[in-house]
Amino acid sequence: MFYKAKLLSPWTLLPLLIFCLFASPVLIVLASLFGEYSDNWIHLYNYVLGDYVYNSFLLIIGVSSISLFLGIGTAWLTSNFSFFGKNFFDWALILPLAVPPYILAYTFTGLFDSYGTANNLIREIFLLNSEYIFFPNVRNIYGAIIVFSFTLYPYIYLATRIAFINQSRSLREVGETLGFSKFGVFFKLVLPMIRPAIIGGLMLVIMETLSDFGAVEHFAIQTFTTGIFRTWYGMYDLQTAMQLSSLLLIFITFFLVLERYSRNNISYTSGSPTYGKIENKPLTGGKNILAFLFCLTPLSIGFILPISELTNWALNYKLDFFEANFIKNSFNTIYLALLAAVFCSFVALIINFSGRIQRSKFFGFLSSTLALGYALPGIILAIGIMQLFIFLDNNLSFLNFVFTGSVLGLLVAYVIKAYAMSNTSIESGYIRISPYMEDVAKTLRASNFKILTRIHLPLLKTSFLTSIVLVISEVIKELPATLILRPFNFDTLAVSTYIYASEERMYEAAAPAVAIVLVGLIPIYFLTKTIRSSRPGKEN
Amino acid sequence: MLKVENVFHSYNQKEDILKGINLDVSKGEIISILGGSGSGKTSFLRILSGLERPHKGKIEIDDVLIVSENYFLPTYKRNIGLVIQEKGLFPHLNILKNVCFGLLGSKEEKNKVAIDLLTTFKVNQYQDQYPNSLSGGEQQRVAIARALAPKPKVLLMDEPFGSLDRALRESLREETKLFLKSNRITCLMVTHDEEDALSMSDQIFLLKDGKLNIHQQL
Repeated sequence: MFYKAKLLSPWTLLPLLIFCLFASPVLIVLASLFGEYSDNWIHLYNYVLGDYVYNSFLLIIGVSSISLFLGIGTAWLTSNFSFFGKNFFDWALILPLAVPPYILAYTFTGLFDSYGTANNLIREIFLLNSEYIFFPNVRNIYGAIIVFSFTLYPYIYLATRIAFINQSRSLREVGETLGFSKFGVFFKLVLPMIRPAIIGGLMLVIMETLSDFGAVEHFAIQTFTTGIFRTWYGMYDLQTAMQLSSLLLIFITFFLVLERYSRNNISYTSGSPTYGKIENKPLTGGKNILAFLFCLTPLSIGFILPISELTNWALNYKLDFFEANFIKNSFNTIYLALLAAVFCSFVALIINFSGRIQRSKFFGFLSSTLALGYALPGIILAIGIMQLFIFLDNNLSFLNFVFTGSVLGLLVAYVIKAYAMSNTSIESGYIRISPYMEDVAKTLRASNFKILTRIHLPLLKTSFLTSIVLVISEVIKELPATLILRPFNFDTLAVSTYIYASEERMYEAAAPAVAIVLVGLIPIYFLTKTIRSSRPGKEN
Repeated sequence: MLKVENVFHSYNQKEDILKGINLDVSKGEIISILGGSGSGKTSFLRILSGLERPHKGKIEIDDVLIVSENYFLPTYKRNIGLVIQEKGLFPHLNILKNVCFGLLGSKEEKNKVAIDLLTTFKVNQYQDQYPNSLSGGEQQRVAIARALAPKPKVLLMDEPFGSLDRALRESLREETKLFLKSNRITCLMVTHDEEDALSMSDQIFLLKDGKLNIHQQL
């Protein structure tokens, strides 16, 4: 009887309803596996599916190798040594995260194409004829590997650096007293201890690589995402596109499970309440220069190069930076991002609040499941949501086809993609509120709604605002879902960047691309704060 | 006035932490329940306030059923005051607003009730300040005033003087007892401190092995 009363509570029904709304696009996509397989599927299976798998694996292996080298190398240097620019690199090495891979891809082609800025410069400096090409073609899978590696390595840098900071000096000293050299301690003790953090970061890199659409499409590489897009928009075969999406989803789920598993194991790197701080060893001479260059290289390729080139294009080609189209697209982007951010933050608040007042692990499960949405490729979400909305419009025709082609689809996609960010922010805010407060409030005749609005919301003000800011920065970058689900004649900065770049109008693409990167810098600020405050306990 | 019949409670569905609690408290009576940590005394208080649901048993206040196996009256409808050791003051509300939180009526009416209580507990001079600027003892005075403001039928206190120094707890015990007795408010306090129990209560019970036994009638 008690249980029945809980089930009928609005604070149970509302989260359940929200969960069903957000889980249904994914379930619709997966359900396609059990539907009919058309001739297009047979064609794809016989001729291109192998290429999708091969290219995806090649990308994963290439991107993983370079990202691991860059991420662990830079984290090791900045956590253990003192060298020229170390304090700057501590936070600056995360900056490439602000550059979506598709924007770096556009910059790369603009720079290194036969008649791109870099080749033109070489020809001008060395007075070479116009047919001479110095830099090799980057519009291939190797160019894509470089683009992904240099924009995504910060995931590994971040996870590894936090793990390094959490390691105690005494553990390494014990290793050295057991007869290991410095290299021995690093490979046999330090690295194995932070392995879960490395794997966690690596899985994020792989999931982002597999989910990308903009960069691989620009480099004309056949992968799952480009295949899904072509099957849908080229062959007009939604069912086959969904079946392809399901395969990609299964791939991604595998890496997601690995990432979650690593995250659960990450705790063995965190230490006791007190710790021996690792002293940074000063590097001098050649080692100092090498460390500096090692950190400067990924930062230059992943951030300085694209941002300088984009700014140069935006400002120096006599194009009006603030032209009417740019302002209109910026307005659309901000409007959508703000709407999605407030919506997403309220969803996270309601689910966390329900879990809190009902003290039930069920809501924790709902929340963690929804948080997995960050790993879903935008293109899969778009297909699932489109199919859901077509179903709703067909069955609720008295509503006059309000779903398909409205901003509602975009909002659902954005909330699924960004829920994890909102949830982290709201959840950490809730940890700081004593549960005794709502106990006392209940005895003071406060209903659940009053507790939420008069106690929790004011106390969660900072977390709520943080959540809004983080979601905005995520939504502004999102390309494939926006491209497919946007209402007619409704462009955003990401979409206009994509359209200009696909028409090779790189200079026009620059202004919206710079704006996306600048907004992307906001979460970097929060990440930097996380790193600085990541060591638990007190220094002894 | 407060009648508890055969209440059972467990957290893991395996072992009961409360094994058939029976209690009958008259109006205006102050009783204390002594017990070590983990004895279930806080759980009992949470059940009375409606923050936990017993899996068996019946509770009535003023002959009105609040809990049985088929019925559960939510906390906010029970008119029960709660004071806890952690104080639980709302940090974003000033002292006056904290005390007004559970009151109904116009702003003037609420302020009057709150200021009267703050004066009784000698903290009216802090009404515009926020909880973090008050000492532990002052915060506990505010917490008691806040719990009493809605004129509860029953006041529940969980180690209310636990975090205070000796002089402070003696004076606050006296003031609280005086207020409760003069207003005939029924009070049930759980504590592990025998001195708190002796100085406040009309009856003392001992909660041990999930059973409630009379310890001392004063």
